[in-house]
Amino acid sequence: MIKHKAALALFLSLSAPALLFAAKPAPEVKKAAATPAAINGLTAVDMPYDAGNAAILKWPVDPAVAADAFYVVYASSLQSGGWVEADRFAAPAKTGKDIELPFWAWDGSVLEHAVKVELNNLFGESGKDAVFQFRVAAEKNKQVLAESRAVSVTPAGNWFRLDRLNNLVLLIALIVIFFWAVSHAKRKGLFIRRIAGLDAIDEAIGRATEMGKPIFYVPGIGSMSSISTIASAFILGEVSKKVAQYDSQIKVPHFDPVVMTVCKEVVKQSYLEAGRPDSYREDVNQFISADQFSYAASVDGMISREKPAACFYMGHFMAESLLLAEVGATSGAIQIAGTDVEHQLPFFFTACDYTLIGEELYAAGAYLSKEPMLLSALKVQDFGKLFVMLSVFFGMILVALGARFRWDSFVPAILNLFQNY
Amino acid sequence: MVDTSIIAGGWLAAGLTIFIFSFLYRDNPFFKIAEHLYLGAGMGWLFQVSVNSVWIPKIWEPVSKGELLVIIPSVMGLTLLTQFIPKLSWMSRYGFTFMMGYGSGLAIPAGLSTDFMSQIAGTIKPFSLLASLSAMDIFNALLVAGGAICVLFYFFFSVEHKGHLKKVSNVGIYFLMVYFGAAFGNTVMARFSLLYGRFDDLFTFSGSNYFYATQVVLACMVLYFLLHGFFSGKKEDAAGEEAA
Repeated sequence: MIKHKAALALFLSLSAPALLFAAKPAPEVKKAAATPAAINGLTAVDMPYDAGNAAILKWPVDPAVAADAFYVVYASSLQSGGWVEADRFAAPAKTGKDIELPFWAWDGSVLEHAVKVELNNLFGESGKDAVFQFRVAAEKNKQVLAESRAVSVTPAGNWFRLDRLNNLVLLIALIVIFFWAVSHAKRKGLFIRRIAGLDAIDEAIGRATEMGKPIFYVPGIGSMSSISTIASAFILGEVSKKVAQYDSQIKVPHFDPVVMTVCKEVVKQSYLEAGRPDSYREDVNQFISADQFSYAASVDGMISREKPAACFYMGHFMAESLLLAEVGATSGAIQIAGTDVEHQLPFFFTACDYTLIGEELYAAGAYLSKEPMLLSALKVQDFGKLFVMLSVFFGMILVALGARFRWDSFVPAILNLFQNY
Repeated sequence: MVDTSIIAGGWLAAGLTIFIFSFLYRDNPFFKIAEHLYLGAGMGWLFQVSVNSVWIPKIWEPVSKGELLVIIPSVMGLTLLTQFIPKLSWMSRYGFTFMMGYGSGLAIPAGLSTDFMSQIAGTIKPFSLLASLSAMDIFNALLVAGGAICVLFYFFFSVEHKGHLKKVSNVGIYFLMVYFGAAFGNTVMARFSLLYGRFDDLFTFSGSNYFYATQVVLACMVLYFLLHGFFSGKKEDAAGEEAA
């Protein structure tokens, strides 16, 4: 019996290490060691003040996550699976302060991470009630250190862009000033300084009348929604009024049929106001082509054949500016140009006698007509320029002082005021 | 062996290019041919673009699929054509009014954002990084801010520019001229690259595989100008003798 017990003990003592070793679940131990920690507090919210195609993920900043680790944001448009990497950034980066919204629309904190995910870039256009899932993982050397549970959000579009409140306030201020200027212009009139190029208009029309040659008025290739084309239509009104008074001839070749229709009315009205409706001819306004260079080639041909005494180029011009102005110059016409396309202005400078630069073109209509409405619009533009000048001057000083004395919340607030969202 | 259609295309391209360039000498029938051809081809091209890119995909196909809402903007667009019928021309005002309102609504907020806000923010932002800026960077930022203020003042119409204000305005003009000079050089460079493209084509078409298209067209035109000059000179002489 004792002999049997001793043999059993010997067997157990010999086999125990083997049994123990065999029973040791090596992969389980490994798995337990690799289980990532949890990222707690992850929330997903709809991106405020947008068209409904972005979401914001927020979770608390964890000082335990190493600075050389990365956060990876995953997003999915499915109920389960379908994860795609939406963002990847160094662990200390992207806090609530980095969301690009002004201080009056967003209260971001450096104590929490905040990541904006553009969903339409990842999944294209989605339906109205589409639900999106998100999760976040902290990674280092391709090893997951921590992982969050999945959260979901349904993005929705917003009717009001609170982030653009600065634009709205400025717009309201401009409207108020406009109405004040209208009433002031009607009662007392408004002052506009002399603009040299516009004084030459009378000279050009007078020259054409004396020479018995036509005047070419080219309104450019802009559409009727272009501000320079609208300004050009106002100037055309004044020019054609003087042409009607002097009984001279005017020709207006057009690129855009809508602009032609508007200009027809403008010229007809001018002849009427000048008391010469009988002198008005339907062929004053001619449609040439809606193709840029065919238009330029054709107008060039007309100018070189008819040899006008004066050419006006007022409106929106692109590459055809020099083609037109050069031919006008070689035909010996007195030329007055005006455009707000700044990279075409040098060509007008070289080939024309007088050039209206950008804003001067807008001012021209008001300057020539002295209409209270146009004068008021000019005053509003001047107010806008004054606002920009003062804002740049004082903003520059305040921001420099803020940066010098480390007023950390003051400088971003000033920059937010003028930020374009 | 080059395909016949390619050779014909080369002759056409070389011919039209030289016809258009002939305007540099003076107005002539060849330029007129090219001008009118260009005008007609341009309009034809735009017509097919309107049909294929607007009419078919934006109106015909949606209506065929039962999306009848597109009829409203289509009718509004068609009202613009009533300008040609005096009795119905009042209808075009609806189309124009919608276009103007839509254009203003789209342009004004965008203009406020880009012309006002972004301009100011972009000018003052460098000063927020004052601590990390070098002396040259600070000078640069001040130059940009000063330039922006002076140029804006040049376009300020509410006060007469005289005395010290005239000086500020003049500084603005200097800034503008520097910009215009740079823009001029930049655009001229771009135009030259287009010119090189045309010369490169003319060189290609001057080869024996194109049967010397460039040289032949050029020689014909020079011959025309010589003959025209000779005969028109004779006519003028005859007219002068008759008048005498």
